[in-house]
Amino acid sequence: MSHKRHLDGELNLIPFIDLLSVCICFLLLTAVWLQVGSMDVKQAVGGQPASETAKKAVVWVFMGEKGDLSFDVKDSRVSGALAKAKIPGIDGKPNLEMLSQHVHTLKSMDQSLATVLIQPHKESFYEDIVSLMDSFKKEGLSDLGVAPL
Amino acid sequence: MLKTSVLGHSALVSSIGEASILNPQGEAKKRNVIADLLLTALIDAFSILVIFLLMSFSSTGELLFMGKNMELPKAAQGIVLERSAVVKVDQGKIYVEDQEVSPEQLTGALLEIRKKFQETRPGEEFPAQITVQADRRVKYEMLNSIVLASSQAGISDIKFAIIMK
Repeated sequence: MSHKRHLDGELNLIPFIDLLSVCICFLLLTAVWLQVGSMDVKQAVGGQPASETAKKAVVWVFMGEKGDLSFDVKDSRVSGALAKAKIPGIDGKPNLEMLSQHVHTLKSMDQSLATVLIQPHKESFYEDIVSLMDSFKKEGLSDLGVAPL
Repeated sequence: MLKTSVLGHSALVSSIGEASILNPQGEAKKRNVIADLLLTALIDAFSILVIFLLMSFSSTGELLFMGKNMELPKAAQGIVLERSAVVKVDQGKIYVEDQEVSPEQLTGALLEIRKKFQETRPGEEFPAQITVQADRRVKYEMLNSIVLASSQAGISDIKFAIIMK
C-alpha cells in the first residue's frame, strides 16, 4: 500500500477573503478623506522693542475693504513706486494674479525678501487672508505675520 | 480537481439537486456543468483596495472636529497640522478646547492652558502656538480678538487650519 501525496492541493481562499473584507471595512470607516493642514503665521507685533529687533527687509500688505491691497516695502533695495504699489481688488476679493506678478517682481529685485506682514481690514474674509498667504508662500516669501487691528 | 475542492462540491453537487424528484431521469441526463468563481480577480481587487486605503490611512487621527456649517479655507502651501490648543470660531462664538469663552475671557483661557501644561509637564518648554479653526466666511474682526489674546498670552505662533488643495 503506497501513500501517494497529492501535489495538486488547493488553498482555502475563503478565510483570506474574509480577512480582506474586514480590513476594507475597517479602513473605509476610519479613512480621512479631507487632508487638514495649517498655514503657520507669527504675530506681526511682538513684545520686543523695535530697537532690539534685527533690521531685515519686510513687506507690509494692507488689505482694504473691497479687496484692494497696498504695499509698503521697508528696509529693502526695493523703493519708489514698486515699494508703495496698490493693487485694486476684483469683485471685493484680492486680485491674486496681479499680486503674484508684483511679488515676483519684488523678489527678483531683492532676493533677501522673505518676510510679509499682513494687516487685514476688519471686513476682510478669512479665506481671502489665507489665499493671500498662500500666494506669498508660492512666491517664496515664507515668513508670514498677521497684525491685529 | 474542481469536484474535490470545497467550492466545487458546493457548486456542482448541491443537496437540492440530489433530492430532486421533479426530474426522475436526472441521473441519466446529468449535464456536465463546470462552474467556478474567479476568486483570483476578487482577491486582486480587494488587495488593491486595502493597499490604497492603507496608504491614505491617517495614524494621527482627526485633530479637528468640524460641524456641518464649518468650511475651512483651501490652500496649496500649507503644512501638516500638528496637535496644539485649538481655538474655534463657530457661529459667532469662540471656543477654547471646546469650552465656550467670551472675547474678554480668551486671554485668561489661553493662560490657563499654559499653566496646565507647566503643571502636567514640569521642565518641558510650552509650545507657544495655537490652532485657529474658523469658517472661510468669517471676518477678520472676529479673528482679531484671537490674535490679540494670543499675543497677550505670550503665544507667538498661530496655525490657521486649512484644507489642503
